[in-house]
Amino acid sequence: MAATLTKPAAEAPDPRPVKVDVDVSHRYGTLPVHDGLKFTVRENEFLCLCGPSGCGKTTLLDILAGLLEPTGGRVLVHGEPVNPKRHNISFVFQEPSTLPWLSVRDNVAVGLRIKKRSADDVRSTVDDILGVVNLRGYENYYPHQISGGMKQRVAIARAFATDADVILMDEPFVSLDQPTRERMQAEVLSIWARKKGTVIFVTHNLEEAVFLGDRAIILSAKPARILADVRILLPRPRNTLSPEFTRLRAQFANLLNAAVPAGTGG
Amino acid sequence: MLLLWQVGAAEYRSPYLPGPGDIYSAFVELVRHGDILGNTLWANIGASVYRLLIGFGLGVVFGVPLGLLMGLYKSVYRNIRAVVEPFRFIPPIAWIPLAIILFTGLTRYAFLIFLGAFFPVFTAALIGVARVEPIHRKVTLVYGASKVYVLTHVVLPTVLPDILGGMRVGLGTAWMTIVAAELTGGSAIGLGRMMVNYSELLRIPEVVVAMVLIGLIGFLFNEILLLLEKYLFRWRWQVTL
Ligand SMILES: Nc1ncnc2c1ncn2[C@@H]1O[C@H](COP(=O)(O)OP(=O)(O)OP(=O)(O)O)[C@@H](O)[C@H]1O
Ligand SMILES: [Mg+2]
Repeated sequence: MAATLTKPAAEAPDPRPVKVDVDVSHRYGTLPVHDGLKFTVRENEFLCLCGPSGCGKTTLLDILAGLLEPTGGRVLVHGEPVNPKRHNISFVFQEPSTLPWLSVRDNVAVGLRIKKRSADDVRSTVDDILGVVNLRGYENYYPHQISGGMKQRVAIARAFATDADVILMDEPFVSLDQPTRERMQAEVLSIWARKKGTVIFVTHNLEEAVFLGDRAIILSAKPARILADVRILLPRPRNTLSPEFTRLRAQFANLLNAAVPAGTGG
Repeated sequence: MLLLWQVGAAEYRSPYLPGPGDIYSAFVELVRHGDILGNTLWANIGASVYRLLIGFGLGVVFGVPLGLLMGLYKSVYRNIRAVVEPFRFIPPIAWIPLAIILFTGLTRYAFLIFLGAFFPVFTAALIGVARVEPIHRKVTLVYGASKVYVLTHVVLPTVLPDILGGMRVGLGTAWMTIVAAELTGGSAIGLGRMMVNYSELLRIPEVVVAMVLIGLIGFLFNEILLLLEKYLFRWRWQVTL
């Protein structure tokens, strides 16, 4: 039965072209974080990355974005070394990342302005996306005047405003309450369904991974290796209460528990 | 308080301790007829403020970019700071003899005032750069922002509050230097010069008028900078103040 819900990615060739080709070994000083971590992500794929805290997920996203040069290996986007100036990438960071001197509107517009889009285009795109994240009416507020969850929504809006073809999201929903979180998950799926783009989504939350992903990669504690790489074949919209869903989540939980060596506590 | 002063001065009966009345009439006299050299009060104020703006302006124009640059290239600054920093601790007044030898006229005043303004602005920019958060850089870099973009759109907005704070400190030092600078002679006009002329004549009321004006003008400039801060940094202040 489980075989109909998931498949090891290796056994289910994906017809879509490769978008991101990863092969990295990174160390901070003498601390090895990734040791020959190797995988590819397809065009328009929604990949969830799960792994114990401190296993190097944020470091990996920084490398994928071209913000950090790995000490070994490389990342290719469309066959060329990743470069934020050439590739259209966006990033929802794990830490708060709104720029405090810009209004909500200008924060959302940051990427569009750097990419030199016309003023009209900026205005209409920002209006549009602010509606999606439910921040209409807050355009002229400054970050210190809105809540932490709202700031995170600003960061999400900023990431989706530029029609990036690689979207990196680092536990974007942790600061949101459950209902908002569920709504944002649904929103991210619907924006993604509309705008497409390759999403690499880091989460601790297995339910979130099973709900969102086309595919999930489970990483070991550092130095991170791939423990499991599975395609999630559950049809969308997924019902988190269905027996199939529950079974899949349990299967993932077992894998992740195996990833955290007993006694280290992650 | 003014009343107490008036009464106190009258009781003391010293020709050298003026009451508020004496000072007021000295002020009216200066406004009406100018000083002993025939310069109007406004000309004196104007000359001093002009020198201040030139010297202070130069301090900002050099202090901000140099401070930012040294802040961004810390390794360079680490190598030269042992040469640069000691200058910070030389009071502008100590430069007067050298300034007299090296410069004349406006340049001399501008130089001395510049010394007062430069270091507070330079140091504020230098230290401010260290406060730029890596995450704010990343937000722009991930969209392919250039070095110049990061400098103008991330570093500068972060550091600007420090720079304005430094400017207020620098303005204070620069304006305080004016009296010392005008003491060096060269020009017969200026608030500091006027004050010295009257003090040599032991005409204390006029001296006090000059002191009060120096204080008030400094205060006025400071208020202008504060207003500018409030306007520029409304993102930091609460809506109500
Ligand atoms: N700039 C850095 N310098 C040195 N070590 C670092 C640096 N950044 C991260 N590390 C180390 O690298 C390891 C991986 O960190 P990373 O932030 O990538 O983990 P993570 O998987 O994102 O964890 P979490 O789920 O808690 O966010 C950690 O052991 C961390 O201490
Ligand atoms: Mg992380």
